[in-house]
Amino acid sequence: MGCDDLRRVAHFYLDGQLGEGKCSDLLRHLEQCKECDDRVVILKRLRLFVRCRLNRLTAPDRLRQRIQSAVNGRIPLSGSL
Amino acid sequence: MKSAEAYEHEQGWDFERAAMPYVDSLYNTAYRMTRNSEDAEDLVQETYLKAYKYYDKFEEGTNFKAWLFKIMKNTFINNYRKKKLTPHKIDFSEIEESYERVIQKNAPDLIKDPESEIFQDMMDEDVKRALDTLPHDYKMVVLLADIEGFSYKEIAEILDCPVGTVMSRLYRGRKMLERTLLEYAKKYGYIRSGEPAKMRSRKDETKPKKKSAGTAESLDEPEEAEGEDLELFAADTEEFDFEIEEGQEEEFQLE
Repeated sequence: MGCDDLRRVAHFYLDGQLGEGKCSDLLRHLEQCKECDDRVVILKRLRLFVRCRLNRLTAPDRLRQRIQSAVNGRIPLSGSL
Repeated sequence: MKSAEAYEHEQGWDFERAAMPYVDSLYNTAYRMTRNSEDAEDLVQETYLKAYKYYDKFEEGTNFKAWLFKIMKNTFINNYRKKKLTPHKIDFSEIEESYERVIQKNAPDLIKDPESEIFQDMMDEDVKRALDTLPHDYKMVVLLADIEGFSYKEIAEILDCPVGTVMSRLYRGRKMLERTLLEYAKKYGYIRSGEPAKMRSRKDETKPKKKSAGTAESLDEPEEAEGEDLELFAADTEEFDFEIEEGQEEEFQLE
């Protein structure tokens, strides 16, 4: 596996989606190529960072109540749907 | 025999128990899709009502969370994308090039900093804005994969597209997002190319000494005039939408 190939599949590797053969090719390349090894580390950090920052919203209580009321039949389901 | 009323009550309870645990996930994604809490709440509520209405159509043993997301995606397309703006073409070779430029130039700083302190000062707003610069289809796959943790196959089901399309959009979407985040990090001085990584607050931002000729060069010009550039950014975000054309997909071999 060359540097260009690695760049194309780095994210899929991090997703755990690479096949066994391709995965060992990639790992072999990472052992020999500092630049690509650094890149994979950077990508991993960036992804972790995005995940930490974006996964913060919780649904407001009033939304839960609205849904539960509707489902329990306190509000007719027909109408706008 | 159970009365119709008792049956309905039981079904409602069953649905609630199955569906309510996903309300945060759905709301979180709805908020990223609609970009405001009011629309997000309406979208989630409508999703739940539809899901309840068609609950008997849900196939036991398949992924319930993915099923809910699929309903939400369809509802969103029906309600919100009617007023969609003309899609813009995106030059991916340009994105690829600038991505390589920005990541190669900043790799030494990024790698030196094992705790990722470089990004610590970056505001949540910046991250949100970076995500919003992505065309809708790309934003969706990134959210579904990286935030909600769906597999490629599940995303393909939710979005009604082949797995290859999911991979292609993920590849490009992540690249665009990373590029934008690195741009921000550099622009606000969280990373300073060629100097040891250090953090500065935005208040310390010095006035630009010179103005760059065009926005295309902004990756290499950390001292860009801040306000002006942000305005350009906002304008881009508004109309930045894109649809994949047939044959434009990239092929990825995983095996």
